[in-house]
Amino acid sequence: MTRSRRGAWAAVGFVAPLIVFLVLFYAYPLTQNVLMSLHRYDRNTFVYGGAPFVGLDIYREIVTDPRFWKVVEQTAVFTVVSLFFQYAIGLALAVFFHRGGFRLSSVLRAMFLIPWLLPVIVSGTTWQWMMNPDSGVLNALLDTVGLGPVWWLSSGHALMSVVIANIWLGVPFNLVILYSGLQNIPADLHEAAALDGAGPWQQFWRITFPLLRPVSLVTLLLGLVYTLKVVDIIWIMTFGTGTSQTLATTSYGMAFGKGSSAVIRYSEASVVSTILLLVALTFGLLFVAVQRRQES
Amino acid sequence: MTTTTQRRCRAIALALTAGVSLAACGSSEATPEPGAGGDAAQGSTTATITFWDPYPQHTDGSEWDEHVKACAPEGSTIKRSSAPQTDLFNQLTTAVKEGTAPDIVVLDNPMMPEAVSAHLLATADQAGISTTGVDENLLGPGVVDAVAYGVPFGSNALGLYYNADLLESAGVDPASITDWASLNAAIEQVVADGGKGITFSGVTGEEGVFQFLPWFWGAGADLSDLSSAEAVSAGRLLSGWIGKGWAPKSAATDNQSAAWDLFLTGEYAFAENGSWFASAAAEADFATGVIPIPAEDGGVAPVPTGGEFAVAPVHADDASDHYANAAAVIACLTEGDAALATNETLGYLSAKPDVRGEQVAANPLWEPWVGPVEGAQGRTTELGSEYVDVSASLSKAEQGALNAAGDDAAVESAFKEAGSVF
Repeated sequence: MTRSRRGAWAAVGFVAPLIVFLVLFYAYPLTQNVLMSLHRYDRNTFVYGGAPFVGLDIYREIVTDPRFWKVVEQTAVFTVVSLFFQYAIGLALAVFFHRGGFRLSSVLRAMFLIPWLLPVIVSGTTWQWMMNPDSGVLNALLDTVGLGPVWWLSSGHALMSVVIANIWLGVPFNLVILYSGLQNIPADLHEAAALDGAGPWQQFWRITFPLLRPVSLVTLLLGLVYTLKVVDIIWIMTFGTGTSQTLATTSYGMAFGKGSSAVIRYSEASVVSTILLLVALTFGLLFVAVQRRQES
Repeated sequence: MTTTTQRRCRAIALALTAGVSLAACGSSEATPEPGAGGDAAQGSTTATITFWDPYPQHTDGSEWDEHVKACAPEGSTIKRSSAPQTDLFNQLTTAVKEGTAPDIVVLDNPMMPEAVSAHLLATADQAGISTTGVDENLLGPGVVDAVAYGVPFGSNALGLYYNADLLESAGVDPASITDWASLNAAIEQVVADGGKGITFSGVTGEEGVFQFLPWFWGAGADLSDLSSAEAVSAGRLLSGWIGKGWAPKSAATDNQSAAWDLFLTGEYAFAENGSWFASAAAEADFATGVIPIPAEDGGVAPVPTGGEFAVAPVHADDASDHYANAAAVIACLTEGDAALATNETLGYLSAKPDVRGEQVAANPLWEPWVGPVEGAQGRTTELGSEYVDVSASLSKAEQGALNAAGDDAAVESAFKEAGSVF
């Protein structure tokens, strides 16, 4: 055996685990997903094979269903509103804690992490309970300040309610990342600005915010991908009914026969999740492009 | 330089091939052919018998768990596992695909036609399952094209529980409730007396539909036409309760247990719920009773049959042995003395009239439930495997109706628009 041959085998040995992993857990399921969206599967053909190839027919059916666009709109609202408030509140809290200088600031900061640490089944159920239209604490609270009760989880208000819960859930993540970003901004920049007569507001907009941009980008992109695929909190609170139906809950319900329909729609679920994947991929590429432009 | 690159490429190509061939192993080879052979009479029971049921609430060591395991034939042990209804059906689908299906599955009755049309189940004949002596209306969901695929061991039904204390204080005689008008009048009287009206489960999915069907059928509506005036009328009844504040708004998200818990607070006069709560009702902090659910214009509304089927999934390898396992265990659970224990353990009424008679004789709590069970209508009897689709649409219509909270026009459009796959 020549030396170079042995080198080649060693290379194979080193690369193989990674490739096997990628193929088994990424390439294979992804191709299966796309293949499934191109064949019309039902429970029988899922088990025994022989699902007919229908090309892009199912994609066409889905995108021409007016309800689909309603769901896309709801997904967009859910994602954008959640992200905006998660980021804004997270940033405000991060700046607040970064200024610090008061007792118990670290204890308080730790307490803000609680939503992140609780299992979603616990927090989701608690939100559902608080939002109970007949006996929930939120309506009791509204009552004490003289406001009428809200039917939080009704089909019309469901989107607002799950967004509120999801914002609460996402603030700690934003807080932690932005806080660590703030710690990387040299303090002398702020001192210099203060000497030049910049007030706290100007310091924030001209120094803190621009210097946080790379960190903000990462936070928002991760938040976006995470929020797009949220199923758990929505499902626990409303089963994705009414306006709280998003692409992710639709795909989940279709894939496992959950929610209103016990029919498993293998192909339709694959179509929706492929669309979801493409959207996330687009934003991922956009992020890479923006980052590259920033670097150069 | 080139050689290094070439070598590198070759290495990656090799690794890729390895990965792909590994992935290819994932696709199943041993998928059994639909309707393949196998006969319980020619097989013999094996050392381990696998048993799946949808009762995760009956944990290891519970009465039901021990009852099932006691049914293991000589020389065998039963391995029991549980999952909620839908998950169980999904797991069964995958298991048949992979050739790892259990010997016995306890499957919810409205899933039967779809399981049969997907060729997941062996016929009762193949699996040596006896269906003699079982009521026809209960057996219905498991019969497709005149072939039986398993046996229901018991059944449950829906009725209208009432809080006798509340009714008495409001001066309502439960016997006077014979149609929707008298039911509404009774609720109104209780509400005027300071009580609350009625709890039910309108949660999205089959559970809510199960509870909606007595009103739907009681109005004279038919599953083949969800937009009929009768269907809308049923929707308006429930919608009106929510609109008037007689029923909790949470009915739109309550499952049957949550609806039951609300009734147990003692604030509500009525609760539409199942026979499985009969003994819990007797132990409530207040006096309870139960009446049949009334139809719109009087008489008793047909309720959907509740309960599960014991079935044997299709096997490709050693089919006869698997079916022999199923035959032995299912016979033990549904025949002879154990049949009574099976139903009493689960809180069901037996699917066999004679066993049911014994249950009623031993426990007068069962008496009001015999009528509803005997008059119950199979959900899938009319539509077969298409039922699941119709049920999904009906669930959406019901959600729309409950959310309309008494807005008649909105209820009507909810029933007219039901049908999109989203």
